[in-house]
Amino acid sequence: MSDIVDHSRRQFLSFAGKAGLTTFVAQAVGINLGMVDIVRAQTGKRGVEPFRFAIISDSHLYSMPDHKFDQQLADAVAQVNAMTPLPDFVLYGGDVAQNGTEDQLVKGSKILKDLKMPLKIIPGEHDWYLDMGDAWRGLFGDETWSFNHKGVHFIGLNSILVRDFWTGAGMTPLERMTVMEMLESPIPGPWGVHEKQLEWLANDVKDLAPDTPIVVFTHSPLWDYYPRWNFQTSDAPEIREILSKFDNVMSYHGHVHQTLFNRIGNMSSVAALSTSWPWPYPPVELAFPETRMNRADPSIATDGMGTQIIDLSGSFEGLVQYQPFEDSLTPFMRDGFKV
Amino acid sequence: MTNKMLKIERLLAVSALAGVIAAGTSWARAPFTDEELAEQKAALVESIALGYDLWHGSRADMTTNGLACGNCHPDTAASNPQTFPKYMTMYGKVIPFREMVNWCIENPQAGTRLDVDGDDMTAMEAYAFYLHRGKEITPGLASEQTTPIVVEYGTGFARTPTGIGVDTKP
Ligand code: HEC
Ligand SMILES: [Fe+2]
Ligand SMILES: [Fe+2]
Repeated sequence: MSDIVDHSRRQFLSFAGKAGLTTFVAQAVGINLGMVDIVRAQTGKRGVEPFRFAIISDSHLYSMPDHKFDQQLADAVAQVNAMTPLPDFVLYGGDVAQNGTEDQLVKGSKILKDLKMPLKIIPGEHDWYLDMGDAWRGLFGDETWSFNHKGVHFIGLNSILVRDFWTGAGMTPLERMTVMEMLESPIPGPWGVHEKQLEWLANDVKDLAPDTPIVVFTHSPLWDYYPRWNFQTSDAPEIREILSKFDNVMSYHGHVHQTLFNRIGNMSSVAALSTSWPWPYPPVELAFPETRMNRADPSIATDGMGTQIIDLSGSFEGLVQYQPFEDSLTPFMRDGFKV
Repeated sequence: MTNKMLKIERLLAVSALAGVIAAGTSWARAPFTDEELAEQKAALVESIALGYDLWHGSRADMTTNGLACGNCHPDTAASNPQTFPKYMTMYGKVIPFREMVNWCIENPQAGTRLDVDGDDMTAMEAYAFYLHRGKEITPGLASEQTTPIVVEYGTGFARTPTGIGVDTKP
């Protein structure tokens, strides 16, 4: 972070502050999210071996050569490779590509190959609707998966499935993709993981003891944030129901291009920063408004973007730290927060 | 009216305009006939529809990197047209909305600025201002980085809202 950047951010915020940001920040300081409950404290008996993983998300690569977003994804990879200690693996939160073309997905997979550690990935809507996931699957494999790592059970689901709106309307694959690319398009309606993956999930976790630490990973949030922009997963209630037997579930997701935390029952939910562009917060009352970042300054091309790391402790407590490219975090968010 | 215009009306709930027309007709002698008012409404809807397309990338010279306004400003969110003219740090002075539109064309999109007096620029404004109708005019202030469309949970689509997320703080 250079002095120049700091200076322009200060200048920018001196005006943003008049809109109430100053008061907002003041409110946020010192608030404890209070997530470490008694249930959580007891899960230590499972013996999670402490480790760290990183998340990169939403790079939205275009087909042009040397596009600025290529470099932003490469910067994210470099940022993760430079972390000490190194994360054990990286989760990628979907939307590698902007228009779902094979060249964009190939470009993304090449940049991601520079990661020093293994990659686990799930798809976003921008990756999928040109060829219904063919190119994506060819490059990255199954979109529904689970694995165990150092005592934690990780689950990945494809949460961007919609009902077929294209066959009846006689749309071409390109038209279908164009509809899905537009965040505020009302045509596709709410998306979700659908029946088959719900069955898979129920089966995947049926033999796990309730004190098994669970991390579930999807493109969209597993709660009803702002359905108009598909900041939701339609069958999230069913997913939460299937996972309700566990003491503790952490949900990590992409798609919203902003810092965000929520908690419902046994599930805490953490959003990923994008590496391409930040989104404004929709007009929704948040349960944890202090987890919002600052407004992005449009004159700093990488403001409001970055990656994140999560350090899991022996008692399955996660320290979430956003790693922005610029200084877009509020004082409350700067040191990270525990989930 | 074309199909597209009907679509955009549904999309944006342009029905509020119909209310204006109804109020107009209750005058003893309407300043315009119903036909004239219908034409005027159609012309406005057409400009809004053009603006909608332009915000979503229909004009090639507005971008060289593929980005459209809609990428970063879904529903024209965080463009705050009703707060202009206002001071913008990148200019160091008070500028009109149209200038900020051109700034975002030339910077994040690396495109060619629009003629500030052209129909396309008017359409850019028509769509943004239409979505911000009813918002308080607060010139001179940066306002919130939010969308003008307050949608209750789920009502953006045909879906029963669960309301989960607002009141879950323990
Ligand atoms: C790569 C992302 C990006 C693109 C593309 C983009 N903008 Fe922006 N724009 C921003 C950001 C970020 C801001 C600052 C938002 C804030 O203040 O919260 C901004 C601010 C603005 C503002 C000033 C809002 C205010 O209250 O200060 C206007 C007007 C605007 N953009 C219009 C447009 C238009 C019109 C287009 C298309 C020609 C466009 N933008 C394309 C990122 C983008
Ligand atoms: Fe995305
Ligand atoms: Fe997405």
